[in-house]
Amino acid sequence: MSAVVDNHSHDHGHGHGHDDHGHGGGYGGLMRWVTTTNHKDIGTMYLWFSFIMFMVGGVMAMVIRAELFSPGLQIVNPDFFNQMTTMHGLIMVFGAIMPAFVGFANWLIPMQIGAPDMAFARMNNWSFWILPFAGALLIISFFTPGGAPGVGWTLYAPLTVQMGIGMDLTIFAVHLLGMSSIMGSINIVTTILNMRAPGMTLMRMPLFVWTWLITAYLLIAVMPVLAGAVTMTLTDRHFGTSFFNAAGGGDPVLYQHIFWFFGHPEVYIIALPAFGVVSQVIPAFSRKPLFGYASMVYATSAIAILSFIVWAHHMYTVGMPVTGQLFFMYATTLIAVPTGVKVFNWVATMWKGSLTFETPMLFALGFLFLFTLGGFTGLVLSLVPIDIQLHDTYYVVAHFHYVMVAGALFAAFAGVYFWLPKWTGKMYDEKLGQIHFWLTMIFFNITFFVQHFSGLAGMPRRIPDYPLMFETWNKISSIGAFGFGLSQLLFLYVVLKCIRSGEKAPEKPWEGADSLEWTHLPTPVPYHTFDPQPDLR
Amino acid sequence: MALSRNAKTGLILATIAAAWFFGLIIKYWIIQP
Repeated sequence: MSAVVDNHSHDHGHGHGHDDHGHGGGYGGLMRWVTTTNHKDIGTMYLWFSFIMFMVGGVMAMVIRAELFSPGLQIVNPDFFNQMTTMHGLIMVFGAIMPAFVGFANWLIPMQIGAPDMAFARMNNWSFWILPFAGALLIISFFTPGGAPGVGWTLYAPLTVQMGIGMDLTIFAVHLLGMSSIMGSINIVTTILNMRAPGMTLMRMPLFVWTWLITAYLLIAVMPVLAGAVTMTLTDRHFGTSFFNAAGGGDPVLYQHIFWFFGHPEVYIIALPAFGVVSQVIPAFSRKPLFGYASMVYATSAIAILSFIVWAHHMYTVGMPVTGQLFFMYATTLIAVPTGVKVFNWVATMWKGSLTFETPMLFALGFLFLFTLGGFTGLVLSLVPIDIQLHDTYYVVAHFHYVMVAGALFAAFAGVYFWLPKWTGKMYDEKLGQIHFWLTMIFFNITFFVQHFSGLAGMPRRIPDYPLMFETWNKISSIGAFGFGLSQLLFLYVVLKCIRSGEKAPEKPWEGADSLEWTHLPTPVPYHTFDPQPDLR
Repeated sequence: MALSRNAKTGLILATIAAAWFFGLIIKYWIIQP
């Protein structure tokens, strides 16, 4: 992912008219990365940061699964277990998955719309460099008196009002992460709206760009809501307010409403860019244009709009009126319509295509199969009478891991394997890539499919101990998790091997790929691209 | 001072974000019982 380092002095004859000074501030070594304003450098840093956070959050998952391997308390105390589940969720959502797709956005959006860079290049640098500090705050909170907050990634009141100083660090970290996301989103929307090459109309943009345009609007709309919620939590803790503190006349359920007004669109903030990556990969390996391009754009928009009116399906059990439950149930089931349009279009794209199954395509198909399964269990959970039975059980844990891991993470893997040749100029080891896919696919299902059963049997989430009747499914799940975790070390090896000693990539390794970065730019891609912009009219 | 098209777009979006953040807090501050 860092081969662009080597390309500073290469021109490749593609018309970039100035050299590199000014992007890295003229620095070399570490300072080049600290000061860089180049979208490719920043995209690379986002991707590496997200992988490091993926490993940190993954270690926490291993601790959780190790403790749950057997009933009783073996390895950690219940407080620390709660801290693990909380930080695992926060780090994976805000530190791993979101930055991964922002990394893709930075690398690809300018190249796919024919722009020389992001609209606000310096702000782009700032957006990234806030993240390591936020990540550090989350990790430092473990070493404060009382440890990290053990309140769950949703940071529900009133627990958050009662936690130690680690909670304050977490709140500050969420503020920083939110600032980073909002600045990144402003950059993305401005870049897409204002900096497209002549002839790159909105309805000619690759679907990845479309999904990010809609995602960025979602982020601008909901990240300030999360920031507001945690700010109110902070003032409840230290400044005598009682927004959520029942002891002072506040309402803890109000926090849940505000959080999930952010939280449900957040699911699509993670899922939509994944849809975008898959919408690039499947046509490339089907050697056909994407089926139903316009309907894909409209379906993406519909999902984004609907995501604002379904938030209370996360809280059916708080005691809301039946009419409220019915509204949120119907609105939630409606989301299946545009999502179904997307799944249909991906399948129709493959219909009668000249399919090949290289690693990116395998991950995209894994995504398609497993994300659809996660969507179906989402429909099950959208039904009030069923959700009341399954609320806060492992069925929910299984559901959202099918969406987050098999959905977002599989799409991210597909994207890395797909664009790695373009980024580095070298090919990854196809055989090892395919082994990585199959190990990930098998161990993922061993880990999470059985959690549907323990959830249906009534096992609550976020508990370090459980009755003997749940032991078998938990043992299987833990074994799967250890295998899944180890399999990701193979991914790191494949990427490093590609960067260090991969075979030279052909100009266009995927013959079906048709977006600008494949058709108008050499491989590896030069440090500066599309200056001047191409005329696509 | 003439703002560039990018700066105008960025400022509009930043204003929306700020309005959401402060609007939310002010709303629940004012309706506090």
